[in-house]
Amino acid sequence: MFTLLFIGMGLSMVVAYVLIRRLQEKPWTQHGILEGSQDGLTSSAPKVGLWAFLGVVTSLFLVFIGAYFMRLDMSHGGIASGQMQGWAPVDEPGILWVNTIALILASIAIQLAHGFDSSGRGRIRMRRYFNAAGLMTMAFLIGQVLAWRELYATGNFGVSSPAFSFFVLLTAIHGLHLVGGLFVWSRTASRIRRGLEQAQLQEVAALRQSVSLCATYWHYLLMIWLVLFTIMLST
Amino acid sequence: MILSLAVFIVAFTMGGLNYVTTVLQARCRGMTLMRMPLSVWGIFVATIVGLLAFPALLVAAVMMLLDRLIGTSFFMPSLLSMGEALDTDGGSPILFQHLFWFFGHPEVYIVALPAFGLVSDVLSTHARKNIFGYRMMVWAIIAIGAMSFVVWAHHMYVSGMNPYFGFFFATTTLMIAIPTAIKVYNWVLTLWRGDIHFTLPMLWATGFIFTFVHGGLTGLFLGNVTVDLPLSDTYFVVAHFHMVMGVSPVMVLFAAIYHWFPKMTGKMPNKMIGTIHFWMTFLGTYAIYLPMHYLGILGMPRRYYSYGDTDFIPASAGSINETITIAAIFVAAGQILFFINVIYSLRKGKESGPNPWRSASLEWQTPDTPPKHGNWGEKLPEVHRWPYDYSVPGDDEDFIPQNHPIKAGETSVGD
Repeated sequence: MFTLLFIGMGLSMVVAYVLIRRLQEKPWTQHGILEGSQDGLTSSAPKVGLWAFLGVVTSLFLVFIGAYFMRLDMSHGGIASGQMQGWAPVDEPGILWVNTIALILASIAIQLAHGFDSSGRGRIRMRRYFNAAGLMTMAFLIGQVLAWRELYATGNFGVSSPAFSFFVLLTAIHGLHLVGGLFVWSRTASRIRRGLEQAQLQEVAALRQSVSLCATYWHYLLMIWLVLFTIMLST
Repeated sequence: MILSLAVFIVAFTMGGLNYVTTVLQARCRGMTLMRMPLSVWGIFVATIVGLLAFPALLVAAVMMLLDRLIGTSFFMPSLLSMGEALDTDGGSPILFQHLFWFFGHPEVYIVALPAFGLVSDVLSTHARKNIFGYRMMVWAIIAIGAMSFVVWAHHMYVSGMNPYFGFFFATTTLMIAIPTAIKVYNWVLTLWRGDIHFTLPMLWATGFIFTFVHGGLTGLFLGNVTVDLPLSDTYFVVAHFHMVMGVSPVMVLFAAIYHWFPKMTGKMPNKMIGTIHFWMTFLGTYAIYLPMHYLGILGMPRRYYSYGDTDFIPASAGSINETITIAAIFVAAGQILFFINVIYSLRKGKESGPNPWRSASLEWQTPDTPPKHGNWGEKLPEVHRWPYDYSVPGDDEDFIPQNHPIKAGETSVGD
């Protein structure tokens, strides 16, 4: 819980640092318009919206991780009841490593899709890499479901086993975020298809931004998965 | 119910993202962050707090749902139910309490911060004075928003927590009183030597200062672990939080509704009905919550419908409870006046004109009243000053609208 607290404090300090210069303005002494003063942060509205959303996602997973460690703590030092099972750790199935690689590849592919120029060949490559990222992500999700089945089939875990419940819950919540991402991905993918036919320059710039936002989201979810995986492996 | 809560949280997140992005990215030309009215500041910071706090409620709700539906043991300890041991083991309700209050306390400020902002604008407009200490007010809103995340366990002093934990949370709780007190001083100093007009919104805003100071002071009692232990779960707590987060924000809500009613509808709210509504609510809520402090110090626990024969509770406590019930019915009946007022004023209210309170902030300067879609028509406004230019020395009018171009003798930021 204290870890949570310090991360929260760190985040608020960053925000404070960004804001501090703007918040020193003395509005009662200053009149008229300073050019550029009204354009919020130096990025586009969708980007700010996405980062605000990622803030919410961060908060969600931090609270989950906090709950995970508190529950773990309670199993170890908690109430001494004669039939205390404690925390029977989950033996993570090997397929999770394959899944992790798939998600890393998805992240790399989406980054490559973003990096291409707007020449004809570049656009086709952009489309290929973007589609590959989506397929890799689907492979990851299928792999996660296989991991659940494998664990369940061992028969070692009842639903009341906290380690198993947390494993399923955390992977499910993370997976749901990816499914949401895939929804945006499918819309962007069909726009890329249409955009390539029309080949308007303006259209390409808009597409590039969509791909860039998708890339940010994918990298972020990859990072969250790596954190979750590390935590689950180490406990 | 838990499921609908989850849907609500997702919906709030989407709405909140919209609000935050709008404030950060879609301000009009000349509207710097420090030229925003405190209302917008309050809602903006409250939204950020909400975005970061609601996930904790979502997590608690999801885990609770799983405990109830499929028998996981996130929160369930080993239990005997009807003589049989349940399958659950090792979970703890205290974990639920932590998650709930990690959301629950910021929630108090999600309610309060917009109220703080709105009341600042109402007080300033109707006292014809700029808000005292604008910068301090903004910083205080941000400080309260940030600190609201590190005080949650003061709701859990009696949960058997580590004493050092209690010490930490008592300290942070008392520290959050500092920015809050700064705001109260600034409201009072805004009124000081102001040209106060006791309009309908002003009545409610002044009432808020009373109820809020009252609720805030009892908060200092409850923030201390040693004082909280005997008072925990008594009527004292009920009195405290109803004064501070029940009555006070509602006072501001009514102030704000009466204040912006002319802009929303083009009609003035009826002053007489509104005044009766105010006094019934203000005196009535005091009749409800003031006696509760005494009942609480007497040690009467809350959430019981009947106390039977209990040694430490005299019969007179029962009659105070009856009085409280009568006062509560009186206050509830008073609220009917509000609906009557809205309907009556909509139909027969006086025409208000575009800016009846002669307010300087931007929303009062729209070309149409009530504003049409898009608020401004073809051309967006430009902002040249802050929203609190009231009674500026040497000016003919006692207010200068935010979009009024720069005047002779004023220093321009561009220079």
